[in-house]
Amino acid sequence: MENIISIKDVTYTYPESKVSAINKLSLDIHRNEWLSIVGKNGSGKSTLAKLIDGLIESESGRIIVDGQEVNEQNIWNIRSKIGIVFQNPDHQFVGATVEDDVAFGLENQGMPRDEMVKQVDEALAMVDMQEYKTRDPQSLSGGQKQRVAIAGVLATKPSIIIMDESTSMLDPNGRRTVLNLVKQLRKQQDMTIISITHDIEETELSERIVVLKSGEVVQEADPKSIYNMGSELIKYGLEEPFSNQVASLLRDELKLPKGYLNEEELIQNIWKLSSKM
Amino acid sequence: MEIIFKNVTHSYEANSPLEGLGLDDVSLTIHDKKFTAIVGKTGSGKSTLVRHINALLKPTSGSIMVGDREITSETNNKNLKPLRKNVGMVFQFPESQLFEDTVEKDIMFGPMNFGMSESDAKESARKMIKLVGLEEDYLDKSPFDLSGGQMRRVAIAGVLASNPETIILDEPTAGLDPVGRKEIMDLFKNLQEQGRTVILITHNMDDVANYAEEMVVIHDAKVVASGKPKDIFNDNKLLKNDILTLPRSAVFAQKLAQREFSFPQLPITISELTTEIKRQVHGD
Repeated sequence: MENIISIKDVTYTYPESKVSAINKLSLDIHRNEWLSIVGKNGSGKSTLAKLIDGLIESESGRIIVDGQEVNEQNIWNIRSKIGIVFQNPDHQFVGATVEDDVAFGLENQGMPRDEMVKQVDEALAMVDMQEYKTRDPQSLSGGQKQRVAIAGVLATKPSIIIMDESTSMLDPNGRRTVLNLVKQLRKQQDMTIISITHDIEETELSERIVVLKSGEVVQEADPKSIYNMGSELIKYGLEEPFSNQVASLLRDELKLPKGYLNEEELIQNIWKLSSKM
Repeated sequence: MEIIFKNVTHSYEANSPLEGLGLDDVSLTIHDKKFTAIVGKTGSGKSTLVRHINALLKPTSGSIMVGDREITSETNNKNLKPLRKNVGMVFQFPESQLFEDTVEKDIMFGPMNFGMSESDAKESARKMIKLVGLEEDYLDKSPFDLSGGQMRRVAIAGVLASNPETIILDEPTAGLDPVGRKEIMDLFKNLQEQGRTVILITHNMDDVANYAEEMVVIHDAKVVASGKPKDIFNDNKLLKNDILTLPRSAVFAQKLAQREFSFPQLPITISELTTEIKRQVHGD
């Protein structure tokens, strides 16, 4: 598998802080992969995203993005390949209207006006916000702002999307819509998705989960193996998948099999018991 | 304090081409000392609703009674301090409002603004930092050296430090890890059990089922339902029209219901769900 991002021995310490936020971390991210990064608040997830995008500079180690090292010389080239949607959408608005805001990234790429208008409309349609196009972003609700921020990133067609808790303000249906959209775009446009999340159910869509603790990678596996860790997940600030929680409460009394059961498997097991086959 | 909305309408950018309704003829009672959850889709009017309770927004028509204080379109901005002292509001991403150079000063700012003496405010800061789950030595740190989750706790401590009777929380746990979220939700439940009114805006239906006694559903700027969570989550009309999503336990029960299980009322918490599964498997 080809690596689109390669992180080697990277350390970063915030100014005036005694402990490193990222500590000799190494991680390869494959092209077209959907990778979830999970861990407690303060475990280094967002710091890692900022390092990849060159928003902050590592004190040691190297980060290679699509064949180029993240440094002053390459930074603009690298940033044009990466779209980040942050957790708090208030921090990312620059335009006076929703459409200006979405257009901002495209203007930076020097796109001709006709084409830009078309792409902005498309991106707003994808997140179901066309009718708000002439509104002031500040007049929108938190969840609507988050959708606009997502549209702004999608419009630039980046090859890597980093979603930093970027569905946290959406209602459950809105969240599903956005995740499905990302899933579809990944296929169509060969994108790599890095999703930073606390929502264990959201990680089900990914191919690999990396668990961070104190700036280090402490676990790295496919979702099923991670879910198999059961209540151990709590020490990384995570929650057990819901089907696990239900299974734990029923296991002894209903003699359910050991290990992780996804929702469908659990329902099958319970159903077999009740129909007394 | 009981909070009563009477025919409250709020228009945004009134008399302009962009005029829109934030609230449309809302009448609603939020009961004293209860834990009330407010739910609804993105942009449905939840934040607009609660901002009327401490007069950050004023109604275009109608009135809000907060205890014996009435808020109407005529209410002027003088003398709002007593109201705002009693109605503490934790906004979305409250950490973005931290500004002092130490955590202690940040927590003390609210109470001193409402007239508390410096020494009382210091004492309050000491109590509150522990209440939100941080050690006392955080008081001397700069808020900007803390992680997002820690900053959130400091911001919440700052609102609690004025000892408000009513606490309004606008998605207070968005972006917190699940362990942190549970701690903060338990804290709010505790505060309510000690005699405060808690109003929570959330998208997390499990939190509604686990913590709230009352629930209000907002859709397109109107209140479309209010009552006990168990009854509302069993209201077929709301579910069919895609106005409301269910807690995970109820969704799981719906799936079992397709295979020989039957739930006269959908369970809304995990303990209700597993109790009912055991009962049905054992064939009672």
